[in-house]
Amino acid sequence: MELKQVNYGYPGSKNLITDFTAEVPTGKILSIIGQNGAGKSTLLKLLMGSISPSSGTVEIAGQPIAALSNRKRAAKIALVSQQHQVYDEMTVKEVVKTGRLPFHSLLATIPDDEVQPFLKTVDLADASDQPLSSLSGGQQQRVWLAAALAQEPQYLFLDEPTTYLDIRYQHDLMALIQKLNAEQQLTVVMVLHDINQALKMSDQLWLIKAGQLIKAGSPAAILDEQLLSDAFELPIRIVTIENYGPYVIQLTA
Amino acid sequence: MVKERSAYIVICIALFLTAILALMLGTQFYSVSQLWQALMGNQPAVLSTVLTFRLPRIIAAMIAGGMLASAGAISQSVFRNRLADPTILGVTSAGELFMLIGGMVLPAFVLEKQLLALIGGLVAFALLANRQTLRHPYQLIIVGVALNLTFMALTQLFTKGINVSSSLGFNGITWSSVDSLLIMGFIGLVAVLLMAPWANDLKLPDEQLSAVGVPVTAMRLGLLALVVYLSADVTAAVGTIPFIGIIVPNIARYFVGHDYQTILPFSMLSGAWLLLTIDTIGRIVVLPSELSAATIMAVIGGPFLIMLVQRGGFHGIKTG
Repeated sequence: MELKQVNYGYPGSKNLITDFTAEVPTGKILSIIGQNGAGKSTLLKLLMGSISPSSGTVEIAGQPIAALSNRKRAAKIALVSQQHQVYDEMTVKEVVKTGRLPFHSLLATIPDDEVQPFLKTVDLADASDQPLSSLSGGQQQRVWLAAALAQEPQYLFLDEPTTYLDIRYQHDLMALIQKLNAEQQLTVVMVLHDINQALKMSDQLWLIKAGQLIKAGSPAAILDEQLLSDAFELPIRIVTIENYGPYVIQLTA
Repeated sequence: MVKERSAYIVICIALFLTAILALMLGTQFYSVSQLWQALMGNQPAVLSTVLTFRLPRIIAAMIAGGMLASAGAISQSVFRNRLADPTILGVTSAGELFMLIGGMVLPAFVLEKQLLALIGGLVAFALLANRQTLRHPYQLIIVGVALNLTFMALTQLFTKGINVSSSLGFNGITWSSVDSLLIMGFIGLVAVLLMAPWANDLKLPDEQLSAVGVPVTAMRLGLLALVVYLSADVTAAVGTIPFIGIIVPNIARYFVGHDYQTILPFSMLSGAWLLLTIDTIGRIVVLPSELSAATIMAVIGGPFLIMLVQRGGFHGIKTG
């Protein structure tokens, strides 16, 4: 999957994404980092094909993503957003069943056993009949992850998946994502706020600022005080913590 | 699961017993043995009364109740609002207005009333459904109530103050109007059961549905068309009967949970039972005259609606 000279913006206003060219490494974990408003979520939407570039193309396996039907796209790319909203009570299995929609005719009733393997993957097989609202935030996020996996995607996109979770749940979710990436060769694309989490989790990072790609590379290539200070417009230092490795801190009082 | 099954059994028994009772009660009371004798051919006068007057009315009330309850449940899913119902949103009163105007200016044609009520309902939805009202539940209800009052006032204006809906209702309903209600109702209710999974899908935000490849707008329009079809058919046959579409689905949720694939069939049965009960009470309570089902429903429905809003049913659905 790659972006070729992609621009995106509303007519008459400044571009949100400018001249963006980059390739998503297949089978790896990619994190997009940058300030709020740098265009991270917009970039994710462009990659998903839910918005179209003003110019340039987004291609998946050499084919423009815009050429794919919604259903075909849904069978390739799945999204877990930072916060989910439901308008009514839903049970866990009902939520996961929505991930199976691309594989059924529109009026079909999706059988329960079809979603069990995905609930098992996220370790929620026993919660199948529970109402979603009765689960903790971390468990709910795992339900949405199961729904995304039920799409059997090649690409799993996560938009700030850990924002509303405490550090324990953040750790568990990230460990699960790493496991999925390793076991199922799933290509993972995440937007993350926490630079250290992104550095620790990812095979590759895209550092972006004001809609432009500043640097694409491995964590080692991104671990540059000057580069990060420029991108976040803050004095940033990299310290080394024993038994952990390099750790990014910002130095404002 | 057990609660759900018991709820189905109870409503089926209640519906059966109420139907028997409705055959027995009226200006003239018939006992079960009299009905049995009539059925055996021994009491032709009784059989004639039951077949000509009571049975069509019972069938019409049951079908109309089922249709109104499902129309209410589906509009609650489409508008993501537990108070959404065709009768308080002005859909049925628009239907009545169009039937009245059409009846005045157009020559009679087949399914005239149904078609005119359908067009009226579509016009009401076109005025009602937009981005603003879909996002803000209070706005939807306020705009709906205003539309409803406007259509009702226009209807009264055209009839010079005579309440036109009193000429409709179940009183004096004949087999010919029951036939068309039965056919239209059967088609509509089968469509409801087929489209029930869509009502569940709409519990998710549009963005999420698009991400799984679901044509959200087509789905929503399809369901709205079904709501208009169901309520227009009932309006054409018996006029507006308020509140069934709010009361029944909300009580159904209490008994059978939140899955529309069980809410909808349960609402059909409960709606059939409620309207049959109301109509039967209306038939016997002020003999030799009668109270219309619409009047009784308005009396019960108002307090129920207030209770629902005050107990938080209105805020039970997150919107944003």
